[in-house]
Amino acid sequence: MGLCDGQIGYALVPMIARGIMLGTDQPVILHMLDIPPAAEALNGVKMELVDAAFPLLKGVVATTDAVEACTGVNVAVMVGGFPRKEGMERKDVMSKNVSIYKSQASALEKHAAANCKVLVVANPANTNALILKEFAPSIPEKNITCLTRLDHNRALGQISEKLNVQVSDVKNVIIWGNHSSTQYPDVTHATVTTPAGEKRVPELVNDDEWLKSGFISTVQQRGAAIIKARKLSSALSAASSACDHIRDWVCGTPEGTWVSMGVYSDGSYNVPAGLIYSFPVTCRNGEWTIVQGLSIDEFSRKKLDLTAEELTEEKALAYSCLT
Amino acid sequence: MIAEGAMLGPNQPVILHLLDIEPASEILKGVKMELMDGAFPLLKDVIATTDVIEACRGVDIAIMLGGFPRRKGDGKDLIFKNVGIYKAQASALDQYADPNCKVLVVANPANTNALILKEYAPSIPEENITSLTRLDHNRALSQISENLKVHVGDVRNAIIWGNHSSNLYPDANHATVDIGAGHKPVKELIADDQWLKTEFITNVEQRGQAIVNARRLSSAFSTASAACDHMRDWILGTPKGTWVSMGVYSDGSYGIQPGLIYSFPVTCKKGEWSIVQGLKIDEFSREKMDAVERELIEEKTMAYSCLH
Repeated sequence: MGLCDGQIGYALVPMIARGIMLGTDQPVILHMLDIPPAAEALNGVKMELVDAAFPLLKGVVATTDAVEACTGVNVAVMVGGFPRKEGMERKDVMSKNVSIYKSQASALEKHAAANCKVLVVANPANTNALILKEFAPSIPEKNITCLTRLDHNRALGQISEKLNVQVSDVKNVIIWGNHSSTQYPDVTHATVTTPAGEKRVPELVNDDEWLKSGFISTVQQRGAAIIKARKLSSALSAASSACDHIRDWVCGTPEGTWVSMGVYSDGSYNVPAGLIYSFPVTCRNGEWTIVQGLSIDEFSRKKLDLTAEELTEEKALAYSCLT
Repeated sequence: MIAEGAMLGPNQPVILHLLDIEPASEILKGVKMELMDGAFPLLKDVIATTDVIEACRGVDIAIMLGGFPRRKGDGKDLIFKNVGIYKAQASALDQYADPNCKVLVVANPANTNALILKEYAPSIPEENITSLTRLDHNRALSQISENLKVHVGDVRNAIIWGNHSSNLYPDANHATVDIGAGHKPVKELIADDQWLKTEFITNVEQRGQAIVNARRLSSAFSTASAACDHMRDWILGTPKGTWVSMGVYSDGSYGIQPGLIYSFPVTCKKGEWSIVQGLKIDEFSREKMDAVERELIEEKTMAYSCLH
């Protein structure tokens, strides 16, 4: 469940219990972890889960003990972290999150199921995932990912609104890099399914200026726009995209479609290896594969590099907190 | 949940109309933004508005969550404030919703709010106006499942009689558990008969408060989930051999005064509910059912006195 306001966790658990994350034929047992001050509230969530009488929900473990929480889990969604408060320096935020993810990593490594799939949601998501990877060496590196599916879905939404089409007819946008304000939403290869076949988004939009400016900043700043409107950060959409991320990973992406996931970089597209970086991926048999061979124009190249730089900086900052 | 298909099934596209009061319009916009960001394939459009007419226009299903919440020392005040709200909502629904609109009232006092709505939306068929007791029904199933250490999906046919209030009567007399080799009555499986007449009842009645005590907030997703269950079973039909609890317009069944919105056991088929008839009612149950009937008659009287 995690720290701060627990909103994402609260939105997420009924979705998982309903079969949105793993499909309507997959029974689940939920393990929810929070810190001791939130133990009562967590128990309240357990009561609600029981009250909802979900047929797929075979058990609920609500605990403040990381070991109990991690024991035997096949899927771990990390929504807890230390949010930035007013007056906090970047290094302070990083320092707090680094120690959280170091200890979570330890517990997962020792007690989770051997092939546990991990999705880090809490920010700074990419770097938290990297720390987790460093301190859980027995978890295969390809099993540690971070969430950029929310940004991916937001990009799909923006295109569908612009073109006045159904969002389910838009596909293959890409979110490159960091789940931060340097993320690069790229529609170069995105398409729309129309009665006359699949059409390329840049041609249909026919407004390169907007695609290189307004569109990008809208997607980048969507989180802030939602906080401004709701006075709370996105919860249901974050939870929904976490379900999408895991479901596509475990059950496979549809034919002809890719999605965006923050994954351990292998140097593809000249992105430095050893970062958790968001790429376009397809999924099959429970494994993701980076889509190769996509053309990267000059504008995109700069954007890809910029976000890689930020991630490299974050990595250095994180490591400096460890020594 | 609606956008994910939890209410109407994975093949039914939906258009969501969200209504709130003016002070909440920015927040409502934020919710619309999140719905768009969810990229839900079934969600064809979202209308977020503070205009009750725009909200009601053409709707096939109306879930009424809004109402004036209880504050300390209320009682008559609560009824008074909500009567005004539901009279206005009724009017809009009556004029602008689809003629066969199905209505579910969630906001408390749910049964009486639904009754007011019915009175002021005369063109909506009375069988289309219901109130939520499915949350209590689900809570009853889960209390039984915890006591018997079985899975909640194997328990069925509890009944919630009456009012969604602290006087609701959770009745397990006809409930059964699927034990693999058939269905056994809960009464036979429960070790302690008295439990069904005491703790079981208070646990279900007070569950809402227990959750508020733990979360510092009232139940949200379990209520929403129950609302989805209520609508889904109403429209798509209850499974064979299973009934559910719904607050519906009483026709005198089980000796309950007609003209109240009272929770009964119902089955649903082809978009219509029918009260399960012929269930044996013991003395203990009779008293409880009558007590909550009295409460509803009182609320109805109070509500009408506010209107005239």
